[in-house]
Amino acid sequence: MHEIVFQIATLWLALLVVPCIVLILRARTGTGKILALDTLTLLLIALLVLWSDTERVPFFLDAALLLALLGFMGSLAAARYHSEGRIF
Amino acid sequence: MSALAAALDSELTAYAADALVVLGLAVTTLGVLGLFRMPDTYTQLHATGKAVFLGVIAFLVASLATRDAAIATRAFLIACFLILTTPVGAHVIARAAYRRREPMLTPGAVDESGAGLPERARDDGPGAGATR
Repeated sequence: MHEIVFQIATLWLALLVVPCIVLILRARTGTGKILALDTLTLLLIALLVLWSDTERVPFFLDAALLLALLGFMGSLAAARYHSEGRIF
Repeated sequence: MSALAAALDSELTAYAADALVVLGLAVTTLGVLGLFRMPDTYTQLHATGKAVFLGVIAFLVASLATRDAAIATRAFLIACFLILTTPVGAHVIARAAYRRREPMLTPGAVDESGAGLPERARDDGPGAGATR
């Protein structure tokens, strides 16, 4: 396995986080902000997956799974509260 | 299972993982670019949905090249979870935009739902699809 490709990919994803943050600050609608936050969560999940492959340890994948779970619940709660004013 | 392990033993595994990582990077970059360029939330959801499925899942499949059972199990779990929850998340965000009556800013979009969302006419000029 070529580690250098995974390391460059991790660096590229870390650089991609910056335009995503610019998108969060720049979005005009609240829904656009929620969507940009969801995309940022997915970028972080991909980052953790690639770093776990580089180091060949399974610990970062646990963190990625947690991020996926909590990010999904957060997007659901934020979008529902934004549109309906309540969560349940 | 042994067939998969035998297939992973070949020399091509490293190059296949590299190809998958490059594909995932390309799709993720295009997804973020799509978030920038798309005019409204309804079209931005297209970009992020593809970025998740082809991008992050490609990274998770590429993690099979490490030939580690713990990593492969967790990667499979994350992939299953993302496949199940990405459409639900996209639906909830689209429904939130719809309930807040956000306008359809794509030139020529027609609101067929009867809720009376504001639209933009088709002949708004060539720059109408841009950010503002």
